[in-house]
Parts: sequence; C-alpha cells; structure tokens
Amino acid sequence: MIVAKNISKTFKSHSTEVKALVNVTAKVDKGEVVVVLGPSGSGKSTLIRCLNYLNVADEGSIVIDGIDILDPKTDINKVRAEVGMVFQSFNLFPHKTVLENVTLAPMVVRKNSKEEARKKGMALLEKVGILDKADVYPDQLSGGQQQRVAIARALAMEPKVMLFDEPTSALDPEMVGEVLDVMKNLAREGMTMVVVSHEMGFAREVADRVIFMDEGAVVEVGTPEHFFTNPTHERTKLFLSQIL
Amino acid sequence: MGSRSLLNCLKDRNYYYVWIGVFFLLLISIVLSIYYSALQIDYTWRWYRIPQYFAYQEQVEIKSEIDGEVESISKKGKEAVVRIKGLEGTESYAVPASALTVEEGDQIYYEDTPLSSYKKWRVGILMQGLWLTLKVSIIAIVFGILIGLFTGIARISSNPALKWSAITYIEMIRGSPLLVQIFIWYFVLGTLVNNLLANQGITQIPPLWFGVAALACFTGAYVAEMVRAGIQSIHRGQTEAARSLGMTYVKSMQHIILPQALRRILPPLAGQFISLIKDSSLLGIIAIRELTKATREVVTTSLQPFELWFVCALLYLVLTFSLSMLLQHLERRQLVV
Repeated sequence: MIVAKNISKTFKSHSTEVKALVNVTAKVDKGEVVVVLGPSGSGKSTLIRCLNYLNVADEGSIVIDGIDILDPKTDINKVRAEVGMVFQSFNLFPHKTVLENVTLAPMVVRKNSKEEARKKGMALLEKVGILDKADVYPDQLSGGQQQRVAIARALAMEPKVMLFDEPTSALDPEMVGEVLDVMKNLAREGMTMVVVSHEMGFAREVADRVIFMDEGAVVEVGTPEHFFTNPTHERTKLFLSQIL
Repeated sequence: MGSRSLLNCLKDRNYYYVWIGVFFLLLISIVLSIYYSALQIDYTWRWYRIPQYFAYQEQVEIKSEIDGEVESISKKGKEAVVRIKGLEGTESYAVPASALTVEEGDQIYYEDTPLSSYKKWRVGILMQGLWLTLKVSIIAIVFGILIGLFTGIARISSNPALKWSAITYIEMIRGSPLLVQIFIWYFVLGTLVNNLLANQGITQIPPLWFGVAALACFTGAYVAEMVRAGIQSIHRGQTEAARSLGMTYVKSMQHIILPQALRRILPPLAGQFISLIKDSSLLGIIAIRELTKATREVVTTSLQPFELWFVCALLYLVLTFSLSMLLQHLERRQLVV
C-alpha cells in the first residue's frame, strides 16, 4: 500500500540545517496497522507528513497504492483524497458545524450530492459516537470530541489509508481513551493505518508492526511483541526503559 | 462599612451624572459660540430655505399651441382630454383631470391661457448629489473588494510575476495622494482612453467612470493588504487540513481560508469603506456632481454657506453611520454563528 524508499528531508533556515529524515525506508501493507514510535525530534511526524506531501521529501521515492507521489506529473490532490489525515491539533474548520466539517470534502472533492454527503456524514458521526453534536460548532466540543469529528471528517472521503499524527498528544488524559477506542474499532474493521503516537498501550494492543525511529532514521522494526519484550538495539532498550 | 460603600456608590453615580452634564454643556457652548460669532458678522440664518434643496414643488402649466375655443372635455379616469377647435383645425391635450382650469366654450389664446395648472414634486440638487455619492461609493466598494481580494491573494503567491505586480500596485497606490490619482485617471488615462475610443468611433466614457475607477483602485490597494494579513492570520493547520482532504488550492481558499479571513478583517474593512465614502468628495474636481460639489453649487447661488455645509456634513454622517451599523450588524451575526 505504502512503500517509502530511502527518503531524506532536511529543513533549512537562514543559519541552521536540521536533518529530519535520513535515508528512511518503510513499508505498510494493505490492512496493516503500523505504529511509529520514537523520542521527540526523531522525525516520525515528518515521515507521516511526507507520506501526504504536506512535507516534500528531498530524496527517495514514496509510492502509495501504485502512484509515485514525488513524481511531478502526479496529481497530488487525487492521492490525498485517498489518504485520510488526522492531526495533533484537530484542525477542524471553526466556521462550519460538525456535520458541515464532515460533509464539505465529499461534496467539494468527490462531488457527492448534499443529501448523499449528509447521510454518510450522519452515519460516520454515529460511528464515532458524536451524532448529537452534528449541528454545533467545533469550539463547543471537548478536545476528545473534536478529534473524533476530525477522524469522521477524514473517513468521509472513504480513504484507503489513514494517517494519524500524534492524535492524542493534545488531549487531556481522560479524553485519550475515547479517541483510541475509535481508532481501535477502525483497525478491527481492517483499515490500513499509520499512527505516530506515544500511546504504548495502543501500540502493544493494536499494532501489527512497530517502527522505532531516532534522529531521523529507522532504528528498529518489528512486531509489538518483539519490540516491547525483546528489542535488539541499545537505543530501543534505552527508550523503553525511560518510558515504561 | 455598609453605609460607607453606599455613600461611595452614590458619589460615583453623582460623578457620572456630573460628567454627563459637562459633556452636554460643552456641546451647547460650542453651538452657542458658533451662533454668537455668526451674529457678529451679521449672518442671517435661514434654515427654512434648506428643504427646497432636498425636494421642491414645481409649477407645471399645460398651454395650447393654437388659438381657439374649448370644443369638448372628456374625462377618462384621472385624465381629461381637452379638444380645442381653432381656425386651422382641432387639437387635443391630455391633462390631469383634477387640475383643469378651463371649461367647455372658453376662449383659448396661443401659449397663454393654461389648460391645466398643477404642482409636481422634484428631487432637489442636494438629494441628487447624495444619490450620486451613494452610487459612486457602492460601485467603488464592490470593485474595491474584488480588486483587493485578487491582489491580496496575488501578494502572497509564490509566482514572482503575480507577487511583484501586486506589491508594485499596492505601494504605488498607497504612496501617492488620492487627489493626484484622480487627476491622473481623468486627465491622463481618461484622455488617452477616450481618444482611442474616438478613433475607433466608439462613444466616450463619462468622467463618472474614471472617478469610480480611481476610488476603486485606491480602495483595492488597502483592501489587498487587509486580505493578505487576514489570510496570513489563519493558522497553517487549516490549509493543511483542507489540502489533506484532497481540496485544491483554490477550493481550500474558497471554502476554508477566505471565509475565516474575511470575518477577521471586517472591522478594518468597515473603516476603509467609510473612508471611501468621504474620499468620494474629491470627485467634484473632475466635474462629477456628488454631494460636496452639489453643496458648493448651491452655496454659490443661495449664499447660505453655514447652513448648507452643516447639512452636507450631516448627510455624509448619515451615509457613513448607516454603513458602520450595517457592518457591525454583520459582525455581530457572525459572532453567534
């Protein structure tokens, strides 16, 4: 589904250069849930943003569902329509109601009729448990509710892959669970997912594979069982000892 | 303790009313001092002469074009048809039935005896000026918004042709006086354009449109900077969310960024449009008879400058205050949303 080969990304400003990704290779199969772990600044967010072309990789190749997204001839909007993205800070549209947030892209991008988009939107809001808030504006929702709306908004495009960029990091602790539950359900339904997260419990329970990154490079890849009980690399061991 | 705080409260309240009193005292003393100063130069206030410049009644008389006798008068609803039989033949005149001044058999003299005489309301020159000011302002605001939107977006484009054109336009317009720009639009561009049109045998563009163009371009430059600031004030995450859903740049601007940005810049926009209404008073210099020019003309004929200039200022205030209220209403409605 996703094949990223030898991608590198350097952020340049006037005086400094930050190597965010160094020669990263990763693969996600259809129906697989991959959790990307790593300390802050390890490049995991940059990696997931490169997959959606929000950051543009300097080198390497990224192929999603057979389409090379770094090829200048590729219509990136078509690829993005098939790849859902959930952000750390939700990024809901504050001037639209919850339902409008969910129905806008299907109507504008997929040219769905209003009625069709509405029906699908209501079904998705029910799925993420927030149907009663369909007509309120995002600022009246809690963080957990907002993030669930953001997930519904991404799902409304019926994507083939879902990318989650630290979806629970901005939430109060008591709201983390409701968002993770939605994500677990999604994983159970067979959605292909790439999740950047600090939620070890989620990684252990749901992930098919864990990618551990540090300083812009992939350090270790393996099943959660292998990763949490029997890591090979010293850096991984150190990381786990610090957080567990 | 309780009585003391009550006393303080009373004192505070009294102070409040005292200062309200001071305010009105100031207002009245300004009015009185103007009135007193005017007395010193023997100025006679004639407010009763002012209403005629808003609307006046015109005497209309319908007269026969031949000598003769009223042969018949036939009434049809509100209209009466008067037939006059002369030596050379008969002629009919349709007049309002209620204003008939002749009867059957009356002798009529050519261009003399009125068949009908009535009064008709006409719009006064100040009202015409006010209407023109309103019209010019509305057209200039609409085009100013369009120019401002386009230029504001071009200003933050990564394409150097667009970006530098926008910067050049904005800096040039903001860096020169509006009066000079109006002169350039009318005397330079106007001459060139109308000359070209004349060569092609096409009708000339009246000065009004060069005036509107000057105002619209002037406002557009300021609106552009506001639009740019508004767009840049919207969090980057909004664009990212819209684009990640597969929306194009245009769609994300249209549905996500601009609606939010325009809401934010509504208050400074209101100020800009109020300025524009007032700036339209400069258009008098290129022979557009808007409110200020109309007032100046009435002042020259009536010799009542004091009343007229006050009235003129008040009429501008009516326009600007209504616009201000309208935009505040829009702002408040969006707060609820």
